[in-house]
Amino acid sequence: MRFAPTSRRQFLQTAGAGAALVAGGALLGRRAEAARETEMNILCWEGYNSAAVLDPFRNERSATIKAESLTNDPTMINRLRAGETNVWDLINVNNPWARKVMYPEGLIVPLNRPRFEAYFDKMMPAFKAPYKWAMDDEGKELLGMAQRFGPYSFVVNTDKISRETAEDQGWDLWNDPANAGKYGVLESDDWNVFNICLIAGFDPFRDHTPEEVAKFTETANRVFKGAKLVGDIATMNQAFVSGEIDFHMTGGTYSASPARADGATSIRGITPKKGPLPGGKGGVAWIEITSTVNNPQLSPLAADFLEYVQHPEIAHTVAFAEGTFNPVAQMGNPECFNLFTTEELDAIQWDSLEEEMARSAEYDIVPDYDNLLDIMSAAKRAASGG
Amino acid sequence: MAALAERSATKPARHGALAALWRPGPRHAIPILLLLLVGFAAPLLAILSFSFAPSRTFDIWHLPTLENYRTIVTETYYGSFLWSLGMATATVAILALVCYPVAYGLSKLFGRWSNLVTLLMVLPLFVSENVRLYGWILFLIKGGVLLGSLKALFGIEAESVLFTPGVIVFGMVYVYLPFMLFPMVLGLSMVPRETTEAARDLGASRWQVFTEVELPLAMPGIVIGALLTFVLAVGAIAEAKVLGGQSVIPISHDIEIAFTYAQNWPLGAALAVLLTLVVGGLVLLVLGRLDLDRILGRR
Repeated sequence: MRFAPTSRRQFLQTAGAGAALVAGGALLGRRAEAARETEMNILCWEGYNSAAVLDPFRNERSATIKAESLTNDPTMINRLRAGETNVWDLINVNNPWARKVMYPEGLIVPLNRPRFEAYFDKMMPAFKAPYKWAMDDEGKELLGMAQRFGPYSFVVNTDKISRETAEDQGWDLWNDPANAGKYGVLESDDWNVFNICLIAGFDPFRDHTPEEVAKFTETANRVFKGAKLVGDIATMNQAFVSGEIDFHMTGGTYSASPARADGATSIRGITPKKGPLPGGKGGVAWIEITSTVNNPQLSPLAADFLEYVQHPEIAHTVAFAEGTFNPVAQMGNPECFNLFTTEELDAIQWDSLEEEMARSAEYDIVPDYDNLLDIMSAAKRAASGG
Repeated sequence: MAALAERSATKPARHGALAALWRPGPRHAIPILLLLLVGFAAPLLAILSFSFAPSRTFDIWHLPTLENYRTIVTETYYGSFLWSLGMATATVAILALVCYPVAYGLSKLFGRWSNLVTLLMVLPLFVSENVRLYGWILFLIKGGVLLGSLKALFGIEAESVLFTPGVIVFGMVYVYLPFMLFPMVLGLSMVPRETTEAARDLGASRWQVFTEVELPLAMPGIVIGALLTFVLAVGAIAEAKVLGGQSVIPISHDIEIAFTYAQNWPLGAALAVLLTLVVGGLVLLVLGRLDLDRILGRR
């Protein structure tokens, strides 16, 4: 079969149609830019991307809301660094990044302080304005809103290791050779760097001496060699239920709550009573801060959304959105707190939340993270094949 | 003068070449060529460029450096390469042994049942790989379907095989089975029944028929299935993460760590380039030795 040669006329027709399509696309793109008051994009940890949280806002505003969920802060921040500030309107990451990295680098813009500061007064006492992690270094600009938080050290099966033993022994659980093969490691590599520092006996959130780095290397090799498995939250909780492991790091309310909500209340997040952190603290806690991105065409919906999630009902939905369940700062408001059932409070370990937070240092940036992560990744490779 | 004559002689030729390029065939291929250029060549070029960027930087506009390749050579990444290549080779070898009898049955013996067997083999592909692997976790885990039943029915307490290198290879064999099986079925259906019958009539033993008639004639399908499976398996990551509990770190996992937690895009790109080169090199080596034209029967 032969194809008939294309005539000049046909070619011009085709080319004309193509050009019209391209021009049409460009016009549509321009219209889309102008219509940002009905669209918003959120880069976040899972939960804020759930339909339960977004759909009421979408319907209320007749807006197109897109959310992408990732599970580590550095990736999200580097997406902004790589030029995606013109894509995203809100970014939801852990506490140190807004004031220590994103604001100094011009990746986020401050919120209207008078408009938003009043919400902090309705939050739990630890979050009263001016809340350190929501402010810039000088304490003038409000850089974001707080909502979900939680202690995040390790998790045990209390049928195998009692809560008291775990809290007393703390990170030394990993220094006991008898525990090799009895524990798992959650694939949360940034937090695992903190924990290996804590197991090695020093504060992760400061510069480290060559001796400490050598100790970190030895500890990382030992911890990964002795790990029964490294996996995600679902695998860890499944391994607990089946009896494959007795405890795992990193973990806390965030990772134990899905299993606890399913009735497996012997799975419990633990914050050690003592440790090498300032003030003798043994645990680490995270607090999410959600900020408006320095988008040249920032959607006006971004600030509205931050107000929307402060409503008691929506804050409760955020706490129990999907995947993991967490306390929210808005539980300081009785209208919000009363929405939580006894089972939900038990799932997020409300009974010990205050004391666990008191025993925890707040998540911070590790100055030599890159080096320590490379050492830890090499330790994982070295443990390959058992 | 001579130069002038030469120039005038080449002019029509160049004009001819341009005219050849502007024939309907190449002209209509322009859109697809552009699509391939943007969708296929450009990302590869970006990865290649990133691999020469300084460590932990986020754009390619730097003086090129071999720093990332030096890191790969001096660190222990060779272990991850070896695990990936080793597990992919084991997967291909096991799949060749497992799939051959099934492929033989599908092409020669099962008759009208072939469609049902084919459907059973294809159905799992409609379910996400991760869901299927988590299904195996529930089946194999301590107290799960297998070990729980053994204990309840026979009082046998066995250790779980999960989170070991063996179960990773098992997972890869399970996931990639259709990719080996169906090219092999095609290969075996290219063997005319008359040929094997003729060999038998001429006194060939079953083994001789298998090694000297069936296998060589079915080789195109076997080779294509093996190559397809190897290339897919060498980049596998989910099996090692889900079933293996990261007891093995394949090279694809190292690449993922570099692009996520480590935020070292240039190192991840260099690892990806090396993996592409190693796999591409091995595939070309195999293809070069096998002479596809001959086994495909073109000469």
